[in-house]
Amino acid sequence: MSTTALSSSSTGSTGQPPPRRKAPRRPKPAPGTQRISPLRVIGLTVVWLFTAFNLLVLYWLIMAAFKTPLEIFREPLSLPATLFERGTPFRNFVYAWESAEFGTAFLNTVILVAVCSVVIVLVSAPAAYALSRLGVRGSGPMTAFIAIGMGVPFQTVIIPLFIAMSEIDLNNNLFGLALIYVALSLPFTVFLLTGFFRSLPDELEEAASIDGASATRTFWSIMLPLARGGLITALILNAIGLWNETLLAIVFLQENANFTLARALFTFYNAASYQSEYGGLLAGVAIIVLPMLVMYILLARRIITGLTLGAGK
Amino acid sequence: MATVSFRGATRYYAGNDKPAVDGLDLEVADGEFLVLVGPSGCGKSTTLRMLAGLEGVDDGQIWIGDKNVTDMEPRARDIAMVFQNYALYPHMTVHENIAFHLKIAKMPKDQRDARVQEAAKLLDLEPYLDRKPAKLSGGQRQRVAMGRAIVRQPQVFCMDEPLSNLDAKLRVQTRTQIASLQRRLGTTTIYVTHDQVEAMTMGDRVAVMRDGLLQQCDTPVGLFAKPRNVFVAGFIGSPAMNLIPARLSDAGVALGGATIPLTPAQKAAVTGTEVIVGIRPEGWDTVAASEGLPVTIEAVEELGSDQYLYGSSEAEVVAAGEDVEHREAPHPIVIRTPGMSDWSRGQQLGVRPRTGAVHLFDKETGNRLPDA
Amino acid sequence: MTTSVVTPPASGHQPGAGGRGTPAAHVARRKKLFWPFVAPTLVLYGLFLVVPTLATVVLSFSNWRGAGDTPQFTGFTQYAQMFSDDGFQNAFVNTLIYITLGGVGTFVLAFLFTMVLRDMRGNKMVRAILFFPNIVAPVALGMFFGVVYRYQPNRQGLANYLLESVGLSAVKFLEADSVTWVVLGSIIWASAGFYITILMAAVDRIPPYLYEDASIAGASPWQKFRNITLPLTWDVVGIAGVLWTINAIKIFELVFVMAGSGTYAPPIHTWTLGIFVFDRSFGGTPAYGAACACAVVMIVLVSVFVVALRRLLRRDAIQF
Ligand SMILES: Nc1ncnc2c1ncn2[C@@H]1O[C@H](COP(=O)(O)OP(=O)(O)OP(=O)(O)O)[C@@H](O)[C@H]1O
Ligand SMILES: [Mg+2]
Repeated sequence: MSTTALSSSSTGSTGQPPPRRKAPRRPKPAPGTQRISPLRVIGLTVVWLFTAFNLLVLYWLIMAAFKTPLEIFREPLSLPATLFERGTPFRNFVYAWESAEFGTAFLNTVILVAVCSVVIVLVSAPAAYALSRLGVRGSGPMTAFIAIGMGVPFQTVIIPLFIAMSEIDLNNNLFGLALIYVALSLPFTVFLLTGFFRSLPDELEEAASIDGASATRTFWSIMLPLARGGLITALILNAIGLWNETLLAIVFLQENANFTLARALFTFYNAASYQSEYGGLLAGVAIIVLPMLVMYILLARRIITGLTLGAGK
Repeated sequence: MATVSFRGATRYYAGNDKPAVDGLDLEVADGEFLVLVGPSGCGKSTTLRMLAGLEGVDDGQIWIGDKNVTDMEPRARDIAMVFQNYALYPHMTVHENIAFHLKIAKMPKDQRDARVQEAAKLLDLEPYLDRKPAKLSGGQRQRVAMGRAIVRQPQVFCMDEPLSNLDAKLRVQTRTQIASLQRRLGTTTIYVTHDQVEAMTMGDRVAVMRDGLLQQCDTPVGLFAKPRNVFVAGFIGSPAMNLIPARLSDAGVALGGATIPLTPAQKAAVTGTEVIVGIRPEGWDTVAASEGLPVTIEAVEELGSDQYLYGSSEAEVVAAGEDVEHREAPHPIVIRTPGMSDWSRGQQLGVRPRTGAVHLFDKETGNRLPDA
Repeated sequence: MTTSVVTPPASGHQPGAGGRGTPAAHVARRKKLFWPFVAPTLVLYGLFLVVPTLATVVLSFSNWRGAGDTPQFTGFTQYAQMFSDDGFQNAFVNTLIYITLGGVGTFVLAFLFTMVLRDMRGNKMVRAILFFPNIVAPVALGMFFGVVYRYQPNRQGLANYLLESVGLSAVKFLEADSVTWVVLGSIIWASAGFYITILMAAVDRIPPYLYEDASIAGASPWQKFRNITLPLTWDVVGIAGVLWTINAIKIFELVFVMAGSGTYAPPIHTWTLGIFVFDRSFGGTPAYGAACACAVVMIVLVSVFVVALRRLLRRDAIQF
């Protein structure tokens, strides 16, 4: 024993400092983690194929938007050439933009999505706060009742809504569609935000009321700022959902001037494929996808955590 | 049962050029209870995890018995690990938790149940076998974790701060339970803690680590009696040893009116002009304030059996004969006196090191000067 | 809380307070906010979801064709006619296939991924890439797939181009006997990322030391999955299953444009319940009664699946 103590002490600070070794660029993994198990190999292969495929698809889509139909089908994986040689690289985009009236549609969509997302959050946040934090009896069942709305397919409500909206002249009207968007997005948003409010600590609320802040003030100046993360997430998720919404836009909008992007694309599809304008078609797809892609690249983390927050409850 | 040996074991973490464990050499005898102790972040857990195979070994080797396990998978090493938070499976009952490893090892069910029963009896867990961990107290959970380790009948136990989640009283109880259990089973055990009392009371030997480097490995008595450097001296023992810097003169080191002579070997070993004098709280004789090193009492800690006086000294005496520039700042001093002595705050007394209670360290290197 | 300690309790026991004592003044004050805060949501919810759903149920018992026609209530006639309709039968079977097989496929894939992704380098990046199809509008996805699956010798879509370039012969993906499976595959591809994300978030919450203990025990990846990952993510799996059902039942645009021209409904062998409703209401000649009956079937189907899933997946809540 004592021998060990002596010998070990030589590596301690008694001895000369150990010769400076170079730190390995990547430390060794724990033994066994690199072991090849069949399941792991299959899994890894699938994961990488899947990932590569997604990237390929994105690449193909963006490239195809700059190609002629012939290039799209004959040389799907090569870089676009013909249109660039002709000096009109954005020809497909111009074609799509003009023939599908994407200009107005783009504007309509941006305004509609922005206004609706904000209104949805403005309506949902107080409701979620009241349902989750005021301790009023019956809040639980009421929350559940609202959450059930998430499970109602839109197809179930479009016919009565269509009739009613026609009656009050809100059919083929962006304001009418906005109303529907707001109402139908409430169940999900309220559900998401109740989860968020519930996770906030009680102390601040109590401290505020001891300081004599009124109840409304407590909500506005304490709870809302605290729940800011949740509100922004709700805003983003609703914006994505509405940007991509098609069914309601098809049913409730009939005139080109009122079209949203998804609605315009839907109409454009028929014309473009009839004329074999596949480049233009995919440029149209790119026009609706790219803004979301940019947003996603900027906000991916927030979007993903927000979704898991909603589902994890 | 088996010996464990670390041979220059080194571990780097990604993004850090300084190894978390640096060239560790350590031999653990068969059946020995070795405690790894050190401040937070010194690499204790990393050492244990390398042994368990949960971390790779970047340099050096680890042997269990006569097998080089450096690149072996955890399961092939025949070790059992008790984690700090016990790592109990929340969805399994106590019985299932204890039997889990055996089930994975495909042991027949009746044999498995027999082992679980045996372990449960040993650890007083029989009434709880059908409960889920969430419904157990901290102490019971700790015992389940122990049970899961012992049913495997492994060659080596690895325990990473298994008591740190228990309250103080339970910790003391469990401490003795674990130690006696280990002696009964005779399984080689490596036990990590940052609590030096735990280390001193449980271990056959204690290895002190700091910043990834092994400082000293010895029996508790050896560590206490002959700390190898200033760090170990200050780390082991509670309250800590008084470490007072002092200037070296021809006669030796002057402290509290007395001069501590240095042997020629000690003198030769000093690299600078200063040494550190280490004296444990119980190593002082109290004398009149005018005689020894004068100390003003700032706090009295009465433990009944003992009393600790916390004070500070004007250490100018230490540097006797020097000009005022060299005065040391007031130096804190801890003194143990018999319990119930009537010292009180603000009083002055003198202290003088008892012969044989002085530890001398080189100030530059921090190493102990050779004894006699 | 503190206020309630300071203020002397109100006179005696209050009936109806539920035996919970008098609430603190500020709590009572806050409770007054309840109705003003909840009312807008409840009104919109009631007007746009509850009332229309009830109206749909009522209309499903009528033979109403649409504007200009007077509805006559004919009991279950609509349902009887609908169930014998080819389009509906196709739609019903396809929707069932998408819910069940699609669900199984997606979850098997997602589970396989959780096993690998947990300790893979760069897994955050991979997850973000896998999630990407979920931010794309289903219409856009449908059009995109339409081009990818195109079959026309010498002008093949991407899928056939890849098949031909590895020496296989091209496949008519969108023909009657294969289209359902092609759509199924496409749906699984497009939605897997979403479920992987949800499940991975649950997996990330599992403390790593459980897996370490299992490694010491010598558990294989499958055993770790079986004994740790699955039981500890079970509740999230249940929720994800419910979400899958809700999303799968209303599949519409994707198939509508992928398998058809975009203006009219695609051939009936590709139909889903969502397409049937659309076709009977806004697609061709209106038959609102039939569309409503189908919508009711959709609601019933969702309820049945959700209730069954909840039953099946019910477990004790797990506390870590
Ligand atoms: N996974 C990791 N990645 C990077 N650095 C790590 C990792 N784990 C530990 N470290 C670093 O390695 C050093 C040693 O860590 P280790 O966990 O072994 O300390 P410890 O002695 O067990 O401390 P404690 O008493 O706090 O548990 C620390 O500086 C720590 O920051
Ligand atoms: Mg540790």
